[in-house]
Amino acid sequence: MIKVKNLYHSYSNDDNYAVKDVSFEVTKGEIFGFLGPSGAGKSTTQNILTGLLELQKGEVSVAGYDIKKIIPKMFNKIGMSFEQSNVYSKLTAKENLEFYRKLFDVKTRNPDELLRLVGLKGKENKKTGDFSKGMKHRLTFARSMINNPELWFLDEPTTGLDPAIASEIKNIIKEQNDKGVTIFLTTHNMYIAEELCNRVAFIIDGEIKLIDSPKNLKLQYGDKLVEVEYIENGNLIQETFSTVIKSDKKKLQNLIGKHEIQTMHTKEATLEEIFIKVTGRRLV
Amino acid sequence: MKLWFSFIKELKLASRGFYFYIEIFMALLILAVLLFAVPENFESKQTEYIHLNLPEMNKKIYLQKIKKMDINGSFEEVEIEVDNKLIQSKFYETEDKKIYIINEKDDLIKLADKNRKLGAVIKLNKNNKLEYEYYLQGYESKRLKNLYLISHIEDTDTLIKALENQDVRPLEADYDTLTDRENIIPIVLTFNGALMGLFIIAAYIFLDKQEGVIKAYAVTASSVWQYLLSKIGVLLVTSILSSLIVLLPIMGTQPNYLLLLLLLLTTGFFASSLGLLIASFYDNIMQAFGTIYLFMLVIIIPNIAYIIPGWDPIWVKILPSYPILYGFKEILLKNGDINYILKVSLGFLVVGLILFAISNRRYKKTLTV
Repeated sequence: MIKVKNLYHSYSNDDNYAVKDVSFEVTKGEIFGFLGPSGAGKSTTQNILTGLLELQKGEVSVAGYDIKKIIPKMFNKIGMSFEQSNVYSKLTAKENLEFYRKLFDVKTRNPDELLRLVGLKGKENKKTGDFSKGMKHRLTFARSMINNPELWFLDEPTTGLDPAIASEIKNIIKEQNDKGVTIFLTTHNMYIAEELCNRVAFIIDGEIKLIDSPKNLKLQYGDKLVEVEYIENGNLIQETFSTVIKSDKKKLQNLIGKHEIQTMHTKEATLEEIFIKVTGRRLV
Repeated sequence: MKLWFSFIKELKLASRGFYFYIEIFMALLILAVLLFAVPENFESKQTEYIHLNLPEMNKKIYLQKIKKMDINGSFEEVEIEVDNKLIQSKFYETEDKKIYIINEKDDLIKLADKNRKLGAVIKLNKNNKLEYEYYLQGYESKRLKNLYLISHIEDTDTLIKALENQDVRPLEADYDTLTDRENIIPIVLTFNGALMGLFIIAAYIFLDKQEGVIKAYAVTASSVWQYLLSKIGVLLVTSILSSLIVLLPIMGTQPNYLLLLLLLLTTGFFASSLGLLIASFYDNIMQAFGTIYLFMLVIIIPNIAYIIPGWDPIWVKILPSYPILYGFKEILLKNGDINYILKVSLGFLVVGLILFAISNRRYKKTLTV
C-alpha cells in the first residue's frame, strides 16, 4: 500500500535533512506505527506521503499512485486525521462533514452516522467554533473516514482525549482495520502503538533506526530484562539490565556481588523502553 | 460540481464572517454620502469682489451692463462682514459668477484676502479708458495670469464681438455628460467593487491557513484551482452586490447592466487573482499587508487623473485602475463606447487568467506550507 525508497527532505533545500534515506513498505491491511519524539521527522514523512509536502528526493508510492505526480483521484482512497484539529469554525459539525463528503468521487459515509460513532450525536447543528478541543479532534477524526478510505493516515489520533473517548477511538481504528483498511499511525504514544500496530518503525533525527513488530521486539528485548532494586551508600537505587547484552550481564553480576539486593524481577520491556534502548533517546 | 459545492460553502462562510458585511456596509455608507452629502453638481460659480472707482455716470452704465447679465435681471442689497463690521454691497448672480460690488477699495482688498477670491478695481485711465487692477492670491497659474493680461489688449466690446463671430461646431452632437455626483460612481465601482478583491481574498486565504482547513482540503479529491476559484466567486458576488447597492438608486436603469456585469466580473477576477498571487508569497496577513498596501496606493493614483483631466501622463494610463475607471464611466454614459468596454474586459480577463494560472501553480506548492 505504501512504498518508500531512499526518501530525503530538507526544509532549507540544502544538506540539512529533516528526513534522511528513509525506506520502508506498508502492506495492505497492516497497521504500521511510525514512532518517534517531536522533531524526529514523523510528520515530514507523513506530509510527503499525503502530498502536503513536495517530494524532493526518493521514490514514494501511495495506494498505487506515484507521489511525484499526485492527482486528486488518489485522495479517494486516502483518509487523513490531523493532530491539530482543522475544521471550519463557522460551520456546524454536520455542515463540515457534508461539505467534505462532496469533494470525493466515491461512495461516502453518512455524516450523522460518523458523528454518532465519535460521540458527537446531538451536536450536529452546533458551530464547531463553540466545540471543545476534544470535540474538534473527534470531528477531525470522523471526517477522515468520510470517503471510506483504503489507506488511513492517523496523526496522534488520541492526543488530548479523555481515556474513555480515547478507548472508543482505538476501537474504531481496530474495527476499520478488521474491515481491511491499511493504517499508517504516527504517534509518540508507545502504549497505543503497542496495542494497535502490526509493525512499528522507530524514527529519530530523520532516520529510521528499526522496523519490526512489537511482538518480535519484545521477544528480542523484553523477555530478558531484569529489574533490580539495591542499596548503595544508603540510597535505594533501581536499574534495569538485559540478560542478553554482554555488558549488562556483567554489570548485573558485579551488582549482585557488591550490593545488598532489595528486589529483583524479570520484566517484559515496554515499547518505550525498547525505543530508549535502541535509540538512546526518550519519546518526549 | 465540486466547484459549485466549494462556492456554496464559501458563500456560507462569507455570510457568517464580517468581511462580507463590511463591504455591504461600505456600499450603503457610500450611497448615503452620495445621496445626502454630495450635490448633484458642485458649485462652480466664481465669486468676484469689484470696486468701481468711476465717475457716477460710468458707474451707472457699468452696473447696468452687469444687471443685464444677472439671472434675475436685478441686484440684491446684501450685508457682508469685513473686520467685524457689516458693510453694504450690491450682489449680482450671472450664469457663471457671483459678483459683489464693494464701495471701499480697502474693504475689497480685505475680502479678497480673507475669502481667497478674486478682487478687481475698475477705474478710468488718463485717456478715459477702463483700467483694471486685479487682486489675486499669488498661487494662480501663469496661464490664468496671462489671460488677465491679454484680455484687456482690446476693449471688452471688441472681444465679445470677436467671440460671437467665432463658429464652434461639436464633432458629435449626440454626446452625454454625467452630473458631478454620477461622475464619482466610477471611482466607487473601481475601488469598492472591482479592486476590493485584491485585499479581501488575501484575508480569506490567511483565515483558512490559520484554521488549518487548507490542509484538510488538500487531502481531498478536489483540485486547488477549484478551491481558489470558489473564493474568487464569492468576491465577485460581493462586488456585484455592493456595486448595485450604489448604482441602482442613483442611476436607475440608465446604465447598461449587462456590460457593467461583464466589466465587474473580468476586473474583479483580475484583482482577486492578483491578490491570490501576492498572498502566495506570505504566511499571514500582517506579512502580506505591506505589499498589498503598496499595490493599493499605486492603483489609487489614476483617481487623480480622473478627477483632474489636465493631469494625464502616459505612465498613469498603464496602471490597471485607469482603464477600469474609464470603462465604468463609459458604461454610465447613455452612449458609452461599447468597444472600449469590451476591449478593457477582454484585456483584464486575459491578464486575470494568466495571474490565476500562476497562482494555481504556486498554491499547488505552497497551499499547505
